[in-house]
Amino acid sequence: MDAFYLVKIGEILLKLGNRKEFEDRLRSQLNRRLEGLPHKVELYPGRYFVSVPEEHAAAAEFVLSRTPGVNGFARAFKVEKSVDAVFDAALKVAAQAVGQGGRRFKAESRRSDKSFELGSFELSAEIGARVLEAFPETKVDLHQPEFTVNVEIRERAYVYGNPSPGLRGLPVGSGGKGLLLLSGGIDSPVAGYMMARRGLSLEAIYFHAYPYTSQEAKDKVVELARVVASFSGGIKLWTIPFTETQLKIKKEARDDLVTVMTRAAMMEAAGLLAERIGANSLVTGESLGQVASQTAENLRFTQSRTSLPVLRPLIGIDKEETIAMAKKIGSCEISILPYEDCCVVFSPEHPLLRAKLERETEAYEKLGLREAIAKAVTEAELIAIPYPLPPSD
Amino acid sequence: MIYLDWASTSPPDLSLLDEAARIAGQAYGNPSSRHRLGHEAKEKLDEARHRFAAQLGAGKTGRVVFTGGGSEADALPLLAVLRQALSSRRDGSIKRLHIVTTEIEHAAVYEEVLLLKSLGLEASFVRPESDGIIDPEKIGAAIGRDTALVAVMAVNNETGAVQDLAGIAGAVAGAAKALGRPAPRIHVDAVQTLGKVEFRPAELGIDTAAFSAHKLGGPRACGALWIRAALEPLAVGGGQEGGIRPGTESLQSAWAFSRAAEQAAGALEDNRRRARALEARLIEGLISGAGAIPLPLGRKAGDERYSPFILSAAFPGLSGEVLVRALSDEGLALSTGSACSSNLRKKGRRVLAAMGLDEGLAFSSLRISTGPATTESEIDSFLETSAALYRRLRP
Repeated sequence: MDAFYLVKIGEILLKLGNRKEFEDRLRSQLNRRLEGLPHKVELYPGRYFVSVPEEHAAAAEFVLSRTPGVNGFARAFKVEKSVDAVFDAALKVAAQAVGQGGRRFKAESRRSDKSFELGSFELSAEIGARVLEAFPETKVDLHQPEFTVNVEIRERAYVYGNPSPGLRGLPVGSGGKGLLLLSGGIDSPVAGYMMARRGLSLEAIYFHAYPYTSQEAKDKVVELARVVASFSGGIKLWTIPFTETQLKIKKEARDDLVTVMTRAAMMEAAGLLAERIGANSLVTGESLGQVASQTAENLRFTQSRTSLPVLRPLIGIDKEETIAMAKKIGSCEISILPYEDCCVVFSPEHPLLRAKLERETEAYEKLGLREAIAKAVTEAELIAIPYPLPPSD
Repeated sequence: MIYLDWASTSPPDLSLLDEAARIAGQAYGNPSSRHRLGHEAKEKLDEARHRFAAQLGAGKTGRVVFTGGGSEADALPLLAVLRQALSSRRDGSIKRLHIVTTEIEHAAVYEEVLLLKSLGLEASFVRPESDGIIDPEKIGAAIGRDTALVAVMAVNNETGAVQDLAGIAGAVAGAAKALGRPAPRIHVDAVQTLGKVEFRPAELGIDTAAFSAHKLGGPRACGALWIRAALEPLAVGGGQEGGIRPGTESLQSAWAFSRAAEQAAGALEDNRRRARALEARLIEGLISGAGAIPLPLGRKAGDERYSPFILSAAFPGLSGEVLVRALSDEGLALSTGSACSSNLRKKGRRVLAAMGLDEGLAFSSLRISTGPATTESEIDSFLETSAALYRRLRP
């Protein structure tokens, strides 16, 4: 028997004007992520349905729990629209919940097909009575139920228990494409995850300063990109050979300016690459005041090297909260591996805290980095990371 | 590849490994079995044991226990302290026995002592002087009423510093006597000695010493612990190796190790002389060529307080790790320090920091370690390449 899932969508429903486009995106996202498995994605008004052969159930749940635009999903019984069939499925759902220790419950019905013989109130009441009769240990609790027996009478009848939460947000691609500045740290993968949830499809850029940064540091970034890819869909990772540019800055910039000049150069390089790949924005893990390069004045200067909007979803997020998110998405344990992303020899002891746009722009122009940056972007190495669908049982 | 990382491991001596495999293949019985094949295996194993003991000049003093590596050999005497601490109290509490060790021990000892400390034992970590050498008086001063074990390494794996073990044993005995108590046991991590530095445990007044086979062309996962008198292990199992290291013995490993030790001991004088010459070439070349700084500060060629096979050097302003990476691309294999700690999460240079070395200098250091097969031209290649890379990469 196939594993059959009822999928709830949320924010898409609000987008009345281009709802069709959003729906198509989500459907194609689900299809793409399930590619390689026999599967079916159906779209009915307000609901998606996904079915896969039973042995791929875990893979399907991996996908449904990580695809932005999905509000929630539940393994469901799809039955004919008859009272008996619905009651039968409702008892199966209840049996499962009771088996897992559930006692307090409620029944909830939705009936969009008004021709069905029972109204939703009567349907819920009747299911409640039957569950109580079959499982005397249970008790109705309308306010804090441990499980809910859900029935939806639509084009078919669907019966399911507690839904699992989805990521919510918007389907990837509905916000266009962003270029994520991915370092080896804790913040940038979380920033990528957050923007993927807002509908950005992502490519990532990593600045590699070999031999100052190690091959291990780069491998780590590939692993982090893989985590982001599990939410955003596959991801393209561009590695920019940045040694020459960084050395030039280190040798020619005033010591306290090295960090902010390097950040500016990275923005310029990211802007160039974004143009090439058709990205509409840059995404960074910057958080106000977290480190010296992340004061408002310094952000103003560094972002002045690109005309694209720089999206910083973590700008007002406390480090502890970011770490909690990183743990949740599974990037934290990779991020804390000890390979440094930007070699310590390049960071000054007392970096400039408050850049003045005109003064620092002048200093930056004097460094004459344009050619080195353009060359680095041309020499970017591309690693295409596929969607990391887990192996099936 | 030019290999200058002999303190991490050495290229295996394949003829010895073949010989050992053949012997073990013939005498394949379990040395504990009562049949003829078992007896044969036991005879060969004892032969290997005696051969190994002979290289230590230990004669009939004490006994050699083959282990699953140098780290395990280090752990056995430390864990015996834990057993003692747990079994001295009847109420299930732990007696707060004390271990004295140093800040410069290999992770096999250092991390294990930290673990024991977290489990309720007491520990003191003695700092070395700025020359990387432990002052025996400071070990003596750390001895208390509950000190059960002193653990000090023979030759440091990053600086090559050779510790004054006889002096330390004397200081320990003196301190114990002053406290009116018997002397605590002394354990020595002697992993960097075989074939490199004269080391005769039975003559030093110490109780146990740990060795590793792969540092001298022997197999991995093979070590030995010399013990003066029985110790009480935490793992017991089938009672092999005098009850100290349970598990069916590997005749193959023990045989190869004992033969490697025999060869290394035979070549010790020659190899040392050659290593001294290479050391001089290195130190002179590092200073005059790249402008690097041999460590510990002020280390001179020919100084008997250091193993000539190990030298750390600082390349100020450039991370040692970066230089190691770049050297690797040029075909030279070196490490920054102990390979066993370069994997760990914390990145500090514990040993150099303990000597009070400036953090920047420590960070910029790498270790050159030579072996019997190292040649002058390899040293010259290293000197040339490292100087060129240093000029190019120093930001």
